[in-house]
Amino acid sequence: MRRTWAVAKNTIRQALRMKVAIIFVVLLLVLLPIMGLTATGDGTLKGRLQTFVSYGLSLTSLLLCLLTIIVSIYTVTSDIEQRQIYTVVTKPIRRYELILGKLLGVIVLDVGLLVVFAGIVYSVTVFMPEFFDASDAELHQVKNEFYTARASLVPPELDVSQEVQEVYDELEKDGQLEAAYPNMTREEILDTLTARKRLEKQAVAAGGRLLWEFENVRPLDPNQSLFIRFKYDVSVTPPDGDVYGIWQIGDLRQFQYGGEIVTPIWPEERRDPIRTFREIEVPARVIAADGYLGVEFINNPYNQTVVIFPVEDGLEVLYKAGTFTGNFIKAALLILCRLVFLSCLGVLAASFLSFPVAILFCLVIFTIGTVSGFVLESFDMLSHSIGLVYTYTIGAVIRLLPRFDQYNPTAYLVPARLLTWSLLGRVLVFMVCIKALVLLALALLIFSFRELAKIIV
Amino acid sequence: MDYAIETISLTKVFSDWWGRAKVYAVDDLTLQIRPNEVFGLLGPNGSGKTTTIKMLLGLLHPTKGHAFLLGGSGDDPKISAKVGFLPEESYLYRFLNARETLDFYGRLFGLAPKVRELRIEALLDMVGLKAVARRPVGTYSKGMARRIGLAQALINDPDLLILDEPTTGLDPIGTRQIKDLILKLADRGKTILLCSHLLADVEDICDRIAILYGGRIQAEGEVRTLLQKTNKRQIMTGAISDATVHRIQQVLAEEDATCEVTTPMERLETFFIDTVAQAQQQDRPTSGAVSTTQIGDFLTENAAESILDKLVAAPVSAEAPPAAPQTEQADRPEAKPQPQPDKDLLGELTKAKPTPQTERVEPARPSQPTPVKEPAQSREVRKDVLDSLTGKTPKPEVEKPHPPDEPQEGGRHDA
Repeated sequence: MRRTWAVAKNTIRQALRMKVAIIFVVLLLVLLPIMGLTATGDGTLKGRLQTFVSYGLSLTSLLLCLLTIIVSIYTVTSDIEQRQIYTVVTKPIRRYELILGKLLGVIVLDVGLLVVFAGIVYSVTVFMPEFFDASDAELHQVKNEFYTARASLVPPELDVSQEVQEVYDELEKDGQLEAAYPNMTREEILDTLTARKRLEKQAVAAGGRLLWEFENVRPLDPNQSLFIRFKYDVSVTPPDGDVYGIWQIGDLRQFQYGGEIVTPIWPEERRDPIRTFREIEVPARVIAADGYLGVEFINNPYNQTVVIFPVEDGLEVLYKAGTFTGNFIKAALLILCRLVFLSCLGVLAASFLSFPVAILFCLVIFTIGTVSGFVLESFDMLSHSIGLVYTYTIGAVIRLLPRFDQYNPTAYLVPARLLTWSLLGRVLVFMVCIKALVLLALALLIFSFRELAKIIV
Repeated sequence: MDYAIETISLTKVFSDWWGRAKVYAVDDLTLQIRPNEVFGLLGPNGSGKTTTIKMLLGLLHPTKGHAFLLGGSGDDPKISAKVGFLPEESYLYRFLNARETLDFYGRLFGLAPKVRELRIEALLDMVGLKAVARRPVGTYSKGMARRIGLAQALINDPDLLILDEPTTGLDPIGTRQIKDLILKLADRGKTILLCSHLLADVEDICDRIAILYGGRIQAEGEVRTLLQKTNKRQIMTGAISDATVHRIQQVLAEEDATCEVTTPMERLETFFIDTVAQAQQQDRPTSGAVSTTQIGDFLTENAAESILDKLVAAPVSAEAPPAAPQTEQADRPEAKPQPQPDKDLLGELTKAKPTPQTERVEPARPSQPTPVKEPAQSREVRKDVLDSLTGKTPKPEVEKPHPPDEPQEGGRHDA
């Protein structure tokens, strides 16, 4: 352990003194304050904050990722190429201790830099309202919608397979399948029918009503507000582009049984533009004691159109479930998981590739990792015709890749969504404990058995 | 018997991309080096010396055969804790300074902080880099880097020291110091494997040598046995008169022998060291290494293990120190350059070596352990020497002995 630490310390010194790290540090020190001044967003204080946190943290993350890749590769390959490794591995140190030391050095460096730069982003974010003349309304808004960590509840996905099957069977019986869905396989027809059915369930005709029910809504503080975030879509665009909605939020079961009203019901009539996210602020005391919350939307008959809530993001309930600081720390940890993964990847690449090739290799993986959702989707589009071959070849490889885009910390901080410990745990298990450890094990294996000396005759 | 270093038909083949054997860097090498031996591994460039060392230390995997260090594998931390290694160039971390470099290696050995500190100070003193210990190693000259490399190899007070070309880039004082150090370490019962093609260095200090060519051992044995000439004797006297010399020659004539009389000159090495020592006494400033001839205390002190050391070292250490002077003396009688060819020789040889006229310079010349055929064409002869040295027969000229007027190289291998 002492030997591993000696190597780690040496690695940190190397990164700092060979000016690899310094370049990144200077870049961040210059860019972050500039960003704090220039990020304006949509002009409001909230927009300004969101822009700064999003860009600041993304930039920190990106630069630290690049730094990690470069340092972890450089520290191993330069030792081999410049042959300092001759004098190191001939000392009483196991090769795996050497690699672990290098890795430890990179990670310690990462943690240090992350603390510094996340600290800068955090301080600027927290103190930014003081530098701008913000109205009380704006301050209230950022307090509720930015400096917080809100849990998000989405309605559970409805099981429509029964109904879909019935429709399908009926079509088949009537022999209309081919006419209605020409040139489609059974799966494709079922997919289409399912999507249509789901949309039907989220659609309300004029005068109709739609009820969502949520269980286990547990806000941090009952005196706080909760937020219904929704987006309207319509079949016929209204002349003014607005939808008039009547909402009832609270324990709606109380109407059902005709009992005494214990918890208040929050009624709200409002007019909102279509295809835009809107939020209704509701006091949290409308939630029933057992955590039940009902949200009902009544399509005002004057609308004269069907109102549709898009299946994916049509409606969700947000409530304060944590603090901004806690969320920010978890976001930083999420970045750290990324860095640990990349350092293992870098060490693996360096264990068998030369510096430039290893850098290229890691950058390709990193890029795919940041857009892997997109890559996966595009491959999925093509995959229907390839089937099994795809699943066991490209599909498997892509699933092994890191999913940076899925766990993007700014996607939580900008809408002030709660980053749960369970999500962080999942990332820790999949990205660090499984994928990174597999990479590290491979690296140690290759490094332990390879010849370190150059072949010179 | 437990050998300090043992290889059993060690072979290293470098293959091309298709796996076809291309070069036999080391071919079926069987080598046994006893504890407390100073062993010289010689050979021209590309003869497999360094490859052998790399296999010993586990930096390369043998294609075939085995290599043992102190009875175990070079990969084993228990073994490598007792080994010091100086590679063919000092591969150092350019961003560390001398003190940090030694501290880093000390930590790798798990030395206690106090011991580490003491040793670093002693080693910096020894290699004369204390004044520049705060400068990054990357700014050092080659010789200075070499000194740090040496210090690095000694920080664990190794039982077995493997030195690959230790004196390249070093000034004569540094070279002398390394030689002294090796002899002192040998006195303490350490084993040293020295790999070099600077034959003068090797001849001065090695007990036994092996000459490699093409990855195979071409000659192996004790330096004294290989080089000693039993048919010659040397007499050294004070400043005696010409009359006495004449009488001695007369006496010799009765035995039907001849002798050569010259005034010995100082070795250039000694002269150089003296000159620099004088300059140092005048406190002239230098930005480089401070030349010292001292050796780190912990490397020479005979602590608790001293008795054991002496017991183990007794037979060899009794011989080792005199080895150097003995060779020097042994050279003298042979150094009888003939008046006529001598001038040609002088002209030609001074380009590479100093003054062939004196016996004292001899030790610098034994670079050609193989005899020379024609005394007059020593330039060409030297190529022959190299060829024959690298060829399969290390002593091909033994059959062609010349009368005593043969030049010095000629006789060296008659033994």
